[in-house]
This record gives sequence, C-alpha cells and structure tokens, in this order.
Amino acid sequence: MTDDLTQLTIKEASRLLRLGSISAADLVTAHVQRIERLDQHVKAFLRFTPEVWEKQADEADRRLRQGDAPPLCGIPLAVKDVLCVRGVETTAGSQILKGFRPPYTATAVARLFEAGAVMLGVTNCDEFAMGSSTENSGYFPTRNPWDLERVPGGSSGGSAAAVAAGEAMIALGSDTGGSIRQPAALCGVVGMKPTYGRVSRYGLIAFASSLDQIGPFARSVDDAAITLSLMSGLDPLDATSSDRAGMEVLNNFGAGVKGMRLGVPREYYDVKGIEPGVKSAIDAALAVLRTQGAEVVEVSLPHTDYGLAAYYIIAPAECSSNLARFDGVRYGMSEVDAPNITEQYLETRRKGFGSEVRRRVMLGTYALSSGYYDAYYLKAQKVRTLIKRDFDEAFKQCDAIVSATSPTVAFPIGSKTQNPLSMYLCDVLTLGGNLAGLPGISVPCGTSHGLPVGLQVLGPQWGENVVLRVARSYEEASGVKTQVADVV
Amino acid sequence: MLARIGLEPGDEEFYAGQLSGILEHIDRLQQLDTEDIPPTAQVVEIASRLREDESRPSLTQEEALANAPAAVNGSFRVPSIQEET
Repeated sequence: MTDDLTQLTIKEASRLLRLGSISAADLVTAHVQRIERLDQHVKAFLRFTPEVWEKQADEADRRLRQGDAPPLCGIPLAVKDVLCVRGVETTAGSQILKGFRPPYTATAVARLFEAGAVMLGVTNCDEFAMGSSTENSGYFPTRNPWDLERVPGGSSGGSAAAVAAGEAMIALGSDTGGSIRQPAALCGVVGMKPTYGRVSRYGLIAFASSLDQIGPFARSVDDAAITLSLMSGLDPLDATSSDRAGMEVLNNFGAGVKGMRLGVPREYYDVKGIEPGVKSAIDAALAVLRTQGAEVVEVSLPHTDYGLAAYYIIAPAECSSNLARFDGVRYGMSEVDAPNITEQYLETRRKGFGSEVRRRVMLGTYALSSGYYDAYYLKAQKVRTLIKRDFDEAFKQCDAIVSATSPTVAFPIGSKTQNPLSMYLCDVLTLGGNLAGLPGISVPCGTSHGLPVGLQVLGPQWGENVVLRVARSYEEASGVKTQVADVV
Repeated sequence: MLARIGLEPGDEEFYAGQLSGILEHIDRLQQLDTEDIPPTAQVVEIASRLREDESRPSLTQEEALANAPAAVNGSFRVPSIQEET
C-alpha cells in the first residue's frame, strides 16, 4: 500500500487527499520509506529535510481538514541543490559552499510552498549545474534508476532520478543548456524548461544568467503544467521576470494537436551521433502525433552546427563572472589563514571547485579577457542572434518543433568524463532552446535497448501552452505512461 | 592569473590540453560572417523596470555574517592588504 502511494500523479494524490482516504502525512511517509529503501542505490538526494517536511505535512493536513487545501497541498517535492531554501544547507553540488545556509528562499520554491508542497530534501546535481551526467557533483554521482551502472543525465540528475524512482512526486531543476530536459529524457520522466523570464530566478545560484531557467520534473504532462503555472509570474526580486500571468501556460492545453503544424528540423533529426533506437522512437512518436491530426513538416535550423560553440563561450563567460563571488570571504569554504588575500582566493578556489568548474571559469575568463573579447564573446553573441533568427523563421512554418531530447539514451558512468567535448555534445539538441529563450519539454516516448527515450517539444517564446498541448496529446494518444522504476 | 584559481603541479598541462580541444571546436564560429549582425545579450523583450528608491527591510548584520568563514567585530575577516607601517 505505501509503495502504491509513490506511483501516483498529483491529480490522483490530490483526489485521495481531498476524499480523506489518505493524509499528507501518509503520503510523505510512503515516500520517505521508499527513499530509505532505494536511495542508498540511486543516491538522488544530497540531504533530507525532516524538520521541513514534518511541519509542512502537518500544515497540509490541517488545511485539508479545514477544506481550504491549496493546489499542491501535501504533494512531496524534491529541490535541486541550486535553489536556496532558508535555513536548509544549499551547496550547488560544490564543496566550496559546504555548510552554507541561505538566509532567504528562492521565489520558485516559496511559491510551491505556498501552494502546499512538502519538501523532502535537496537533490544532487553537477557542480554549479555544469554537466550532463551528475558525475561532476562535488559529493557523489547519482545513478539512473533504470540501470544503476548508468548516469541519470544532468545537471539536474538527482531531481530526475528522484521522480523516476518514486522518491518524490515532483521536483525542481534548472536548465541552462538542457539540464532539465536531458535528465528527464534519460530517466523517463517529464521535464520542462520555461521561456526565459517565465519563472523568477531569485534565489537560484547563478550559472549563466542569460540562459538559466527553473522548471519542474513530474510524472505526467498535467503535473508539470500545474507545477509550472504555480511557480511562474512577476517577481519584483528578479528584474528579468515577466509580468505574464502564470496560469496562461495552461491556456487551451488540453485541446489536442488536430490542425497543428509540427516542425522537424532536419539538422536535429539527423544530428551526428543519434542512436538508431532513439531515432525509431522519435519516428514512432511522430506517427502518433500524425494520427492525432497534426501535420508534420520539415524545417531547418541552419546554424545548429554553431550552437555548441556559441554556447561554450557565452555560458563559461557568464559563469566566470557569476562564480567570482566565491572568494572565501562571505560564505562557504575558505583558506582564512592564507598569508594574503590573493593566496586566500587562489587556495579557496583551488580546493573548493572541481575540475569542470575550473575548466569553465578558465575558459570564460579567457573569452572575456582584453584582446579576446571581440573574437570570442562578441562573436558568440552575434551567432546567438543568428540562432534565434533560425527559430523565428522556423516558427513561421510550424506551431512547435519536435525532436529527440538527447541523441543517446543513458550512458555508462565514467564513459564520457575523460573527454569534456563528448559530454558537451549531450546537449546539442537542447541548448538552442536556451540560446533562443524558448520553452521546451521532454516527455517519455518509449525505450531503446530498454532505456528511456525523450521526445522534445520546443515552442515560440511564451508558447508554453503550445508545448504542453503537443506533449499532452502525445502522452494521451501514445499510452506511454511515465513509469516508476523498480530500481532493485 | 585572471581566473583566480590556484593550480597544482601538472594541472597546467592537463587543462591546457583540454581547453585547446574545446577552443578548436569553438573556432568554427570564425567561419560565419557576422559583420552586420547585432549581438544578443538578452533574449526576450522585457522592459527595464525601476522600483521606488525607498528603504526596505534587508538582512540583519547577524544574518549577513551567519555564513562567514571568519568574522570579527561584526565584519568579515580577511588577510590584511597593506603592510603595517
């Protein structure tokens, strides 16, 4: 019985909670018991927050009894280690922030708390969200619940794995180049990155500020949609947050795809390194969407081949600037007894940062340095314009863009760690959405060699409802249900 | 060095090798003619918003120092940056 409660969607759980068949405490206990049984294998969580969940579950049960339960009342939530929660250790997966307890809570998290969600703990990720496998965590790697010898994807691998393993009903992640969509694909769950500006970034430990967005993981498109709608909207604490109403993401999203035009970019369809099994899963998904009445058309994103290069200037440049604050003075690890301030910086950052973070800070510092700025950073920003224009043109010919989320299924732990470029190529189908600020989702669309494949749907800016509509129609028509992994 | 990250022996060669591989990939950008293309720094159109310049509650001194690796007399402690005269 208790395990059954960990297989539910928000919709199903909310019904049982409101009927009084189960309490929020029951729901949380079921998840905690599953965590106790499985997380020693999956290692999705960095730390647990019993002091938070006990209080929140009590409050949820009180409100359920009073009959004024908010939309996520009692729903178990996991939070990626890049989102600040007041008083809860938050480290961005890095040793440099070990012990850091934020004095405030990220807006996205605070909004889900107001909506009644119950936080179970903090999930593992690549250090400062830099990576595609969660192997760059400063603590330990997370494992894919479908095959413990493989990675869950990244950087939000802990959140994806937690939802896939039934250890949380929903989770939050952040997506700078694919860090929600790619692990969602590799773990067989739904993951959504909103339009840049849809969700406030206040309280998100910044990686690349012009690309970062916070979004949900869930076990159904409906659950992702409702969660996203509740965390969206204007926040005076983030000047880039949009004043569009969060609820607009739900507009018409159950209307089906009949009459819609879905674009398949040939550069994505035939992307280098795409596995045959992934391709056939995508073909099958396109066939399902056609039977639902969508017209599938070929489109082109001619600058796709330059996306990775532009991304690996812009993201490291912004990260080198954002990570300058980790100097061992105000928080986190510090070599306080260094002989002088320069030594303090050098030693703190040498000990505190892992190799991927160092690599990107060095690359970014180089790209921004005097004499190289025009050749690298400015050039990349111009190419970013070209990539955005590619999408603008494509969206004149279609309502949404459909592709694989990742060229491959989950790969073995350790198989890409020696060659950074091979790891970067994991995001080749997702990072364009970040460069152009687009909303995108990954939904499970079958398996290849027994491992989950994700279908990516991208929409025009502020077109979350279009993206959700395609994803929901596919989910409903295909009968491919997001499943909870048995793990062991 | 600009990145302000200390290196251990052998690190220099290790990172130099990896970074040149990445830079080699990045060099493909030079193939594109971007002479007349404006740069994109901010990808969505959001009007700048200003707020009233009025005082608001902020962190207390105690909260601000709560995570400090070293604090003394209500301040962050750092190594001296000037020689004593």
